[in-house]
Amino acid sequence: MKTTRRQFLAGTAAVGVAGAIGVPSLFSQAFAQASNTLIFAAAGTVTGSWDPSSHTVAPQITAEGFLFGRLTHCPMTPENPGEILPDLAVSWSQIDEFTLEYKLREGVTFHDGKPFTARDVKATYEYASDPSRPASAWYPGRVDVEVVDDLTVRLSTKAHGYPALNFWYVSSFLPILCADDVANPDTLKQRPNGTGPFKYVSTTGDQIAFQAFDGYHGGKPAIENLIWAYVPDANTRVLGLMNGQYHLTERLEPEQYVSLSKEAGIKTDRSLSSENKYLHFRCNKPPFDDVRVRLAAFHSIDRDQVLAIVGEAGQASNCHLSPVKFGFTDVEGYPEYNPEKAQALLAEAGYPNGQGLPEIEYITSVGFYPKTREYGELISAMLQEQGFPVKLTTLEPAAWEEQLYRRADGQGPGHIVDVGWITGSPEPDLVLRPNYHSQFALINGINDPEIDASLDKERNAPNTEERLKILQTETLPLIAAKAPSISLFSSVFLRAMSNKVDGVTFLPNGPIDLRKATIS
Amino acid sequence: MAFAIEFFIRRLSQGLLIVLLVAFVIFTLLRIAPGDPIRIILGPMATATAMEETARELGLRDPIPVQFGRFIVQVASGDFGHSFIRGKQGGASGGSQDGAPDLSQRASVMDLILTALPYTLILASLGLIFAFLIAIPIGLAAGLNAGRWQQKLGLYISSFFVSLPNIWVGVVLIYLLSAKSGLLPAIGYRGIAYAIIPAIVMAIEMSPILIRAIAVSIAANVQEGYFNVGQVRGIPRSKMIYRHVVRNAAVPLLNVFSAQMIGMLLGGLFVVEYIFSFPGIGLLTINAVFQRDFPIIQAVAILASAVLVLINILVDFASTTIDRRLKF
Amino acid sequence: MTDIPLSARPRSRSVAHRILAGAWATTEMKVAFFIFAALAVLTVVAPFVIDASATKITVADRFLPPIFMEGGRYPYLLGTDQLGRDLLLRSLIGLRNAFAIGIVSVVIMFVIGCAIGIYSGYRGGWVDVVLMRITDVQMSIPVVILAITILGMSRPNAFTVIAVLVLASWPAYARVARSVTLAERQKEYVRAAKILGASDLRIMALHIAPSILPSIAFVAVLDIARMMIFEAIFGFIGIGIQPPTPTFGTIISAGTQYLLNAWWITIVPGFLLALALTSLNLMGGVLERSRNLVLQGQL
Repeated sequence: MKTTRRQFLAGTAAVGVAGAIGVPSLFSQAFAQASNTLIFAAAGTVTGSWDPSSHTVAPQITAEGFLFGRLTHCPMTPENPGEILPDLAVSWSQIDEFTLEYKLREGVTFHDGKPFTARDVKATYEYASDPSRPASAWYPGRVDVEVVDDLTVRLSTKAHGYPALNFWYVSSFLPILCADDVANPDTLKQRPNGTGPFKYVSTTGDQIAFQAFDGYHGGKPAIENLIWAYVPDANTRVLGLMNGQYHLTERLEPEQYVSLSKEAGIKTDRSLSSENKYLHFRCNKPPFDDVRVRLAAFHSIDRDQVLAIVGEAGQASNCHLSPVKFGFTDVEGYPEYNPEKAQALLAEAGYPNGQGLPEIEYITSVGFYPKTREYGELISAMLQEQGFPVKLTTLEPAAWEEQLYRRADGQGPGHIVDVGWITGSPEPDLVLRPNYHSQFALINGINDPEIDASLDKERNAPNTEERLKILQTETLPLIAAKAPSISLFSSVFLRAMSNKVDGVTFLPNGPIDLRKATIS
Repeated sequence: MAFAIEFFIRRLSQGLLIVLLVAFVIFTLLRIAPGDPIRIILGPMATATAMEETARELGLRDPIPVQFGRFIVQVASGDFGHSFIRGKQGGASGGSQDGAPDLSQRASVMDLILTALPYTLILASLGLIFAFLIAIPIGLAAGLNAGRWQQKLGLYISSFFVSLPNIWVGVVLIYLLSAKSGLLPAIGYRGIAYAIIPAIVMAIEMSPILIRAIAVSIAANVQEGYFNVGQVRGIPRSKMIYRHVVRNAAVPLLNVFSAQMIGMLLGGLFVVEYIFSFPGIGLLTINAVFQRDFPIIQAVAILASAVLVLINILVDFASTTIDRRLKF
Repeated sequence: MTDIPLSARPRSRSVAHRILAGAWATTEMKVAFFIFAALAVLTVVAPFVIDASATKITVADRFLPPIFMEGGRYPYLLGTDQLGRDLLLRSLIGLRNAFAIGIVSVVIMFVIGCAIGIYSGYRGGWVDVVLMRITDVQMSIPVVILAITILGMSRPNAFTVIAVLVLASWPAYARVARSVTLAERQKEYVRAAKILGASDLRIMALHIAPSILPSIAFVAVLDIARMMIFEAIFGFIGIGIQPPTPTFGTIISAGTQYLLNAWWITIVPGFLLALALTSLNLMGGVLERSRNLVLQGQL
């Protein structure tokens, strides 16, 4: 490997900023910083494997946003949530109920120089939809890909018994890998090789260096070097941004956002995300195995107050889907704050004024999502007011993640769990199936034939209009009425960046579009 | 010389035994504590069979004494194993949901510790320097003027400093010196300036012990006969203080320095590094605890106790030699 | 009891008395005691007098500054926190909790440590060797490492916090008690009791303990303050008593997020804690000096 001067500079910048790593930087006050380098203070970091099919971790999906191309691109704006733009595919169409056809872009190359063809799409989709892959949850099911010619592919779901239309939106979320890498999963793990605007250079401690890809099909990005610095503490990210150590940061606390808005030299960005924040009930053990108790809790929570605390970081929504998702609607009969109703339901369930309820544990994380501790205390207090004996447990994100999902025996710890669910496509099933279909029900463990039937019905809908109708008038109201979880609000992502940075676009699920960005 | 050799052989073998016991205690504690590292390595969605398989592969399902024995053999060859969580480059990486992790692809614990160690040493030495700068003048004045206002001042200052929780002092100083006035940087590490505020916090925490120790041992020496005798003989007071009192007082001071100070220094470093996101061993360890990264925690605990034991031995040795020199 | 010559009995009561009297003679002791007593009374009385709540969340009253600043208002004398709870009351309750934990843990570590120390020192032999090696091991693990290892791995509560503090600190008491016992064992009155046929247990409990414990107990006041600081540190790291119970550590750590907008959330409770601890430490310091004087026979 030949080291160019440019790479060398990128390397020194990485070491200098790292601070945390490497003795050489120990006494260096001034640190080398190549111009045209953007340093991103990230709230999360990547896993040990670069194989996109190996994980469902949000920060790595953000990193993959720089590295990989997808068939299509969904900007997911609240004004036009269903909009689909070309990426590696230039056009697409439905051939029949079980077949979608994509025409691919010509002249695209991977970072390692190999040309992109239909072969790569086939290899990627068939590999990643295999149920043994950890991220196969993103695929609506297994899929067969037919290579029509070098620049045409057909996705076929016939053999697997569900409509191909399910890929309509999902295809904007699935990174395309190189067929040669798929054939050799070890290389897939060790380094990412995509068609995206930036290519991977190296990892040093908690810093990942990327470099603009000369051969990017949309034109080489103006930002030459991109450094991903993992900074787990929100205060550190903000102080670092204020003293010029970082150029861009994410997941701000509302107060930080407000004070940074007033700061000279810094601009802020606020946009609705595809994330909703949920309180999941553990539905397969008492007392929340009783829908009346779940609804009583739902009616005990004044979500206006929760939103007042979340402030800039939240937006009211009465739906288990985010407003940027296909199918979102203001669900009719979405349970509202109503203490009388809560009391009536509790009494009906045999717990008048909460008497006889076991101690209820509410598990939440601190440090990743904004204000979880604060509104956790508020919600605990509101539930206690109605007689729920709630105990709040706040955990560091790693420990919380360990408690989050149901275990092999089907049970999860605690009774109420706070979590966000975020996916990079308008496709609603990426939220609904993993959470509410009894086949998965990853967190709440709900097992309700009516919900299952309704979810299958909307998935198997023959066309988009019909599907939208089923979702909005049947599936979502049913989920609200059965309340396996409470959708508290929709997350608004708060970010800040240096005034020197221009042209950044943020996607609602976290990834940052730097293709047109500049830094002066 | 023979004395020294005998001394070291005896004390080092005792020390080794203590460190071994500490290692066993920590090793056992970590393995019986709730919280499964496998889940963190594999990620939340791992299946029970995958978890069991990985646990067996990593040897986490063997009886604890077996695991401990294996570990000690490893340590004896200077290998503290690999981190469960951190990649080769030292960064934390999220849980892999994809089969058993290849531990050789993870960072070596020794490397991680050696990378963090220089930062901790900078902070510790700067903290100690500041602590002595505070404690020596106050302690000396208090010791030489027993019963007068200087002694009371010493009592007040040390009572006050010892009452300031380091977490609070840290945050207040960040607010005053960094966030409000922008005088000094505070979070993370990019140069020696980043160590100043954390070192002040350490110094405030450590100085009360030093002030007291200095004051007490100086006062004790001043009261002793030789001090008056020397003055009667016409040796100037300042010379007496400088030549004899300070030197004699150094012995009890060394003892304070050993046990209490090092324990406190280590504890303080952990908390202060955490407050300031200072990339030393303390931060490494606290993060490791939250991530259930056993290999790092046990390595740090063992090394910390080894340092503690070793310093105790050295101090004991030093004080006996100083003492002998002082015998007229 | 009656068969022991009166003159041989330890003058324990009077030792304790003389230490106390000596300490009380100083102004520092009186001032510190007064401050501490005032704070103690406040923690009990304030919740009834002040028309605000330490636990009631009032979203509209968030981030109110102390009453002497612009925007502050009654009844929030020292302002409110990020959930609109009264900071003064929260701090006082935090103080009460911290003090309870401090005193309970010190009493337990004192009892355990001294019992083991006296036994070890009195018995000698292999018992002594084993017990002292155990304390060696314990003292070779820094408190904070031990605490984060144990508390960071489980779900901490008041009980586990106290357990960790005791576990980490009893050896110091065992050491002191042992060394004093070694000296005490040689004394006339112990030998006399032995000759007169008193059992070992009886000698340890009724003769040695009363004569050596008071002087150790007075120094333990300093440890109460130390344990309170540890409790705050644990809370700050997130491994102490969990919210919503107000503790200094959690108030301060939650407040650091708002340092730029609402500094008082962090600063105010710290002042109160520092004040309480200073008075405790001052009392401890004076008591210690008074004890040293008494033991040296100067008082």
